[in-house]
Amino acid sequence: MNDVFANERFRSAFDPLVFLVALGVAWEASVHLFDIKPYLFPALSDVFRVMWEHRWQMIIEGGYTLLEVLVGFAFAVVGGVVIALLIFFFPTARRTLYPMITTMQSIPKVALAPVMVVWFGYGLSAKFVMAFLFAVFPIIIATLGGLHGTPSNLVEHFQSLRASRWETIWRLRVPSALPSFMDGCKIAIPLAMIGAVVGEFIGSQNGLGYVILVSSSTAQTDLMFAALITIAVLSMVLFAIMELIGRIAWWRAV
Amino acid sequence: MTMTNEPTSPQSPANAQGMLAVAIDGVSKTYPGADGGTLALSGIDLHIRSREFVSVIGPSGCGKSTLLRILGGLLSYDGDVKVNGVPVDGPSPDISIVFQKSNLLPWLTTEANLRLGAEIRRKPVTSASIAEMVDLLGLKGFEKNYPHQLSGGMQQRVSLGQALVLRPSILLLDEPFGALDALTRDRLNIELLRIWEEERQTVFLVTHSITEAVLLSDRVIVMSARPGRIVDDVRIDLPRPRSVKETRADPLFSTYVNQLSELMGVV
Repeated sequence: MNDVFANERFRSAFDPLVFLVALGVAWEASVHLFDIKPYLFPALSDVFRVMWEHRWQMIIEGGYTLLEVLVGFAFAVVGGVVIALLIFFFPTARRTLYPMITTMQSIPKVALAPVMVVWFGYGLSAKFVMAFLFAVFPIIIATLGGLHGTPSNLVEHFQSLRASRWETIWRLRVPSALPSFMDGCKIAIPLAMIGAVVGEFIGSQNGLGYVILVSSSTAQTDLMFAALITIAVLSMVLFAIMELIGRIAWWRAV
Repeated sequence: MTMTNEPTSPQSPANAQGMLAVAIDGVSKTYPGADGGTLALSGIDLHIRSREFVSVIGPSGCGKSTLLRILGGLLSYDGDVKVNGVPVDGPSPDISIVFQKSNLLPWLTTEANLRLGAEIRRKPVTSASIAEMVDLLGLKGFEKNYPHQLSGGMQQRVSLGQALVLRPSILLLDEPFGALDALTRDRLNIELLRIWEEERQTVFLVTHSITEAVLLSDRVIVMSARPGRIVDDVRIDLPRPRSVKETRADPLFSTYVNQLSELMGVV
């Protein structure tokens, strides 16, 4: 017994779990203890019950949101890498594209959501664009950082090997930038989720954001919490997947 | 050109004239900057015969690494530099460089790193020649390891191996063992000596170790601090093949070391 509790790996899974359960118990107990109205703050057990009752809704609407996140994120990865490469390799792009993107970044993207609805309508495409807009910036910055971070002695070595420009990019710059790019993806994926949900808030008939909006207008606070928890779990799972994929670029600190 | 195993250039016609591997004439180098820039090298004349082992020593900032980079075609210069009779205006295919900082890509195994240079230079390498290099450099059992799993000395062995796989006629070594501890450094010097006695490339070694220079070289070039000039050119007449133990025991060895120390202003 003592051995298990001394195990670092076991504790790093066990401790947060215990803490989470304790929080849940405190939530449940305080709701009953202080007799809080369910429309203000539903008991955790009620939230789980509603979640189960609406499981198909959760899965279907969650599916919509997931699709929006993944498509927006995919575009952000492709677009972000292309933009970063352009900025890195073409001085003209560095002088034009880069300042424009940093300026765009200072516009609150939440404020862009209504514009996207005007342009792309109430369907999925507006949400793709919102997820993309939230996710693309960290990917650009992280990829650029990675490209700049290529050790200068290796660049010189490639030069002395008479490597072509293309070979230097493909064999040296890209793998050097990979760990940093993966960091960018890890930051970007929860942001894509935020973008998608914000998009759903502004105008939509589907998605978990839409569920939150509707349940708040009908005072179904328990359903609202159920949707919130689903969003959080979805986001965490996506992050964990990114973390796993990120391990293919293990050479950051070595 | 029948002996494919030999370094290619000593046989090439470009080298036939005078067997000069390196001809540096009236070379200077100014790094751009305020007040007309910094003069790093001034009036350098240096000729290196084919298969000669030449070391350059001098205080930090004397421009010895700058000279190596000019030879390697990595820096612009004023004056005249020829490698195997060809004026240098970029990295020459006859040259391999080993730098102090390892040349290895962290995401490649020892084997893949050994192949890297040859792949980029489009030189065919067989698995047999890689295995041979692994043997030659005592890397057996570490073929599938990544650089971070190797000691500093091992990493430099792989860097050296990557350069040797290219079968260069000229090897430029920029303090290749400078970051290693004395013991590892000695061991690698023994290996370098052994490999050179076998393959006899032209070697241009930049070092700040006088003993290393005397042990390995046919000639030791002494440079002065900024702006770098050649102060002396000392021929090392120690018998070959050399070994660390016997050569260091030779009374001539300490005579050379003392002479060079005096020139460097150490004593």
